[in-house]
Amino acid sequence: MIELRSVSLTYPNGVRAIDALDLKIGKGEFVFLVGHSGTGKSSLLRLLYREQVPSSGDVCVDGVAVHRMRAGAVPRLRRNVGVVFQDFKLLGGKTVWENVAFALQVTGAKTRDVMRQVPRCLDLVGLSQKSRMFPHELSGGEQQRTAIARALVNNPKILLCDEPTGNLDPSNTTEIMELLQRINTKGTTVVVATHNQAVVDRMRKRVVRLENGRIVGDEERGFYFLGLGQGQVLSG
Amino acid sequence: MDWGKVKFFLGEVLANLTRNAAMQITAIGTVAVAIAMLGAFLFVQKTAAEVGGQALQQIEVSAFLKDGLDAKAGAALTARVAKLPGVAHVAFVPKAEGLKQLRNKLRGEVDTSLLTTNPLPDALRIQAKHVDDVAAVAGKVRVMPGVAEVHYGAETVQKLLRLMAIAQRIGLGVIVLLVVASFFIISNTIRLTVYARRREISIMQLVGATNNYIRMPFIAEGVIAGVFGAALAVAILVVAQRQLLPKLAAAIPFVPLPAALPDLLPVALQLLGIGALVGAIASWISVGRYLRV
Repeated sequence: MIELRSVSLTYPNGVRAIDALDLKIGKGEFVFLVGHSGTGKSSLLRLLYREQVPSSGDVCVDGVAVHRMRAGAVPRLRRNVGVVFQDFKLLGGKTVWENVAFALQVTGAKTRDVMRQVPRCLDLVGLSQKSRMFPHELSGGEQQRTAIARALVNNPKILLCDEPTGNLDPSNTTEIMELLQRINTKGTTVVVATHNQAVVDRMRKRVVRLENGRIVGDEERGFYFLGLGQGQVLSG
Repeated sequence: MDWGKVKFFLGEVLANLTRNAAMQITAIGTVAVAIAMLGAFLFVQKTAAEVGGQALQQIEVSAFLKDGLDAKAGAALTARVAKLPGVAHVAFVPKAEGLKQLRNKLRGEVDTSLLTTNPLPDALRIQAKHVDDVAAVAGKVRVMPGVAEVHYGAETVQKLLRLMAIAQRIGLGVIVLLVVASFFIISNTIRLTVYARRREISIMQLVGATNNYIRMPFIAEGVIAGVFGAALAVAILVVAQRQLLPKLAAAIPFVPLPAALPDLLPVALQLLGIGALVGAIASWISVGRYLRV
């Protein structure tokens, strides 16, 4: 589903965010990316939805060579990859329903599909009752669930989450992680970049640990800190 | 037709227009002024061309014949001239008739009763089909046997033609300047509204909207601003034509304004077209800066 081969990313200011990195993520996997701030977690995600183009190496997402992609083909990729951020990125002037529908409407979807998909996604994230509310009337967890619904409304095969619980309290965090797990069990590949040790340690999923743009650990059913789990695997 | 889609699109455009209402009004007003000036200029240019054209139409070639030509020879010459290419009309004016016309023309200014003999020769009054033919016709008539002299106000014609050419060139320059000015005004306004919506644009890109789709509402907005500005300009021009022009004509009687004013409708349509086009292009460029991935 996702494959990176000796990928490097150097920003124009000379910072090397990703350094000769190899990573393979299979269909339907749930993967945590962990590591300190500035170790390349966000940069790695940005390569996957082509917000960034690698300086060298190959990035393949769902069989498509993202590193060779024309700008005109990017929208198609983005419809296949949902993205969720720490700061939600909702439109304050639109209701929950409109925020979720927006993602379909701007891709030129038929109204019939909008009317079918939006309720399905709101139901999945448990916000059917609040569809007419505006983001500022919602709790942080509800706002993040709206963002997740928006990320899912195009039926993407992959869901990328960049610190999805960074702005949330523990109970909302648990709620969001349970939601992501549920989405994963329905077949969507989920990649979560996080600092949150408690979340990682409780969920016991595959954990990929980054340091200075390199992978320093990759464990099935891992913990936040290296070597506490069993079954160390080599990536690539 | 998917009305849900149409509704969504119009809603986005409307939200855009109302959110930056003050800015839009400024843009529309400025565009209106620029385009009104442009329209006034087009109008003046058209009027000038018409006045000039009328003046040129009146130019005729006078050929004075040699003394002692009999009526038969005069008639033969008239027939020959009439067959020349570019000649619209020829009239033979015998010397007696010429004197009568001169007396009429000078009545009250010069005492023509002092003339005891007729000093005028027989003459041909030749009307060319087109101004450009005048010189050629005059040249051909001049070398005909029996013709003594040919006059046709050569310098007046040349000056008038030169003047019209210059006016046209200046007019073109002014038009280009005004269009460019309108272009920058609209493009600046759109850039501000794009800036205000950069968050929405980034989310659109994130969820996979194509660049063309993101552009559309902004282009609609630019076209609306351009068309509204142009419409306002047309209104200004109509009022000016109805109210101002008669007063102007009364104030400067020596400028020969054409009896029938040129129709404002084609000019109005031109202006609306220019407004829409300028708005669309300006938006396209302004949004483009934010769409580079």
